Amino acid sequence: MVAEHVERAADPGAALAAVRIIGADAFAPALLAGAALHARDAEAVRVALTALPASDHTPPAPPAGPEAAWLMAWRDWGTVTLLTVLTGRDTDGVTAARPTAPTAGGDGADWASWSVRMGQLCTLALPGLDGPVHEAARGAPLGLARGATRATLRRDYPTAARIVRWLAWLRAEGVALPLDPAPLVEHIAQMAAGDRTALDTAIARRLLAGPSAYEPSDRTGT
Amino acid sequence: MAISVTQHAHLLASRALGWLHTHRERGALPPGCTAELAEPDTVYKPLGETGLAASLVLREAVAGSTELRLARELLDFGWKQLGGGSMLHERLLRYPMMSDPLETYAHYARCGYRHEPLELLLRHTTSLHSTRAAEVLPNRRLAVANAARISGFDRGEDGDEGPRTGSTGGTDWAGLTAATWLGALPEPWLIDWLTAYSMTHTVFHITDWGRLPERLPDDIVRHVGRWLPVWIDIWAEIGEWDLVAELLIVDNCLPEPLGDAAVWERLAGIQHEDGLMPRDGHPVTGDDQERFAAHHHSTVVAAVAGTLAVSRTLGTR
Repeated sequence: MVAEHVERAADPGAALAAVRIIGADAFAPALLAGAALHARDAEAVRVALTALPASDHTPPAPPAGPEAAWLMAWRDWGTVTLLTVLTGRDTDGVTAARPTAPTAGGDGADWASWSVRMGQLCTLALPGLDGPVHEAARGAPLGLARGATRATLRRDYPTAARIVRWLAWLRAEGVALPLDPAPLVEHIAQMAAGDRTALDTAIARRLLAGPSAYEPSDRTGT
Repeated sequence: MAISVTQHAHLLASRALGWLHTHRERGALPPGCTAELAEPDTVYKPLGETGLAASLVLREAVAGSTELRLARELLDFGWKQLGGGSMLHERLLRYPMMSDPLETYAHYARCGYRHEPLELLLRHTTSLHSTRAAEVLPNRRLAVANAARISGFDRGEDGDEGPRTGSTGGTDWAGLTAATWLGALPEPWLIDWLTAYSMTHTVFHITDWGRLPERLPDDIVRHVGRWLPVWIDIWAEIGEWDLVAELLIVDNCLPEPLGDAAVWERLAGIQHEDGLMPRDGHPVTGDDQERFAAHHHSTVVAAVAGTLAVSRTLGTR
C-alpha cells in the first residue's frame, strides 16, 4: 500500500514526505488488523526516512525547546522503532535517537495545553511502542479525558480524535479511565470530517476492539 | 492560591452587592402590580434573585459590616415590595399549584421574614401530592424541595416524618436527584448551554447553595470534580460569564472546591468598576434600566459565587 502510493505518485518526493508524516501509522494495518507488512512497504518507509533523515540531535521538551522539532523527533522515533520491530532486522542505518521525555503535566491546571500536545503525539499510541510519552499518558488519564472532552465540546474534532486515541490505547493497556472512550470515539467519528480524523478514529476503534481486532478484514460502518 | 481566590471573590461579591443595592429601585414592582403578574419573569423574579444573593450574604456572614448592612437593606426593600409577604400569599391563593411564591418566600424566610397566612397556606400546599408531582423539569423539583427545606416545610427524608408532618411522606432526595441530567452521570462531552444551567441548579438545590456539600452523592461529587474544569474552560472561552459564575458556585458546593484562582481573576477583571457583572461577551449597552434588565441576573450570580467562595476558602464550612 505504501510502496504503491510512492511508486504511482506524480511527485515521488512529496509522496515520501507524506509517508514520513504518516509515520508509524503506516504500520497500523499490520499492528491492529493483522495485515501482513510487505517488504516493499517497509522499504518505502525506510527510503522515506533516508531521503528525509531524522534530526540527529534531540531538542529539549517544550516549553523549554521548540515544540515542532520535538514533536517531529518523537514521531520519527516511533516510525523507526516500529520499522525495526516489525521487520525484525537492522534498518540499514536508519536511526532516530529517543527524544527527551515530555514535561510532567496533565494532572494539574495545565491539562488543556498538555493534552493538546499529547494529541500531537498520538501516532505513538500504537501497540509495540512504549516509552516516556506512554508513561506520561499512563500518569494522567484524567488530563487526557478532560482534553478530549474539551476538544469535543469546542467541536475541534481533529484534536479530539488525536487525544481520544490515547484513551483508547490506555483502555487497551487495561488502565482505568474516568470515562468510557468507546461512545466518544463513535461521537467524534459521526461528527467529524476529513481523512486524518477518520484515520485516528479508525485506529481508536481498533485499539478499543482489543485483540479480537486482529482479523484480516476491516471492520467498517457504524 | 487560596488567598488569591479569596481576594478576587471578595472583590467580586462586594462590588456586585453594591451594584444591586444602588440599583434596587429598578427592580421595584410597577405601580398597580397585582398578584396576577402578567409577566412574572421580568417584574417579579429579580426580587427573588436579589433576595437569594442577600440571604446568602447574611447566611455566610463572611462579608464586612457594610456588606451585611446592604444585604439586610436589600431584603427589607424586597420584602416591602412583596407587601410583607401578602403579595406572595395572594398569588398562591390565586395559583395554588405554582411554586414561585414558595421559592421566593424561602430566601426571606431564611432571614427571619414571616407571613403567617402564607405559612399556613404553604404548609397545606407543600403537603399535597399534586404540587409535588407538578409537571416540571427534574431540577425544578429539587428547587421546590429545597425551598420547602429552607422555609421549614420539609418533612425530612422519604418515610422520615418530620415536625411539620402533612398528609404525605418526606422528600425523596435520591429519587429526585436520579431523575436529573446530572444524576445520570452523563457523558461530559455532550452538554449544551441550557443543560449546563440545569446541571448547576441540581447541585445548588441538593446542597442548599453550598450549605450542605455532604448531601451531594459521592458519584456526583466525583463526576462534577472531573468535568467542571472543562465546562468552565469552554464557557469562559466564549465569554458566557453568567454561566461561568454559576459554574463557580457549583465548585463551592463541592465538599472540596477546586478553587481555580485564574478563573476568579478573569471574572473579577470582566466585572465593571461599579459592580455590574456582564452576562456575556457582548458590549454592555443601553441606559441604566436596560442594563439592569440585561445584567441583573449575572450580577446576582457574581454576588452569590463570590460570597460562597470567600466562605469556603476561609474554611467557614
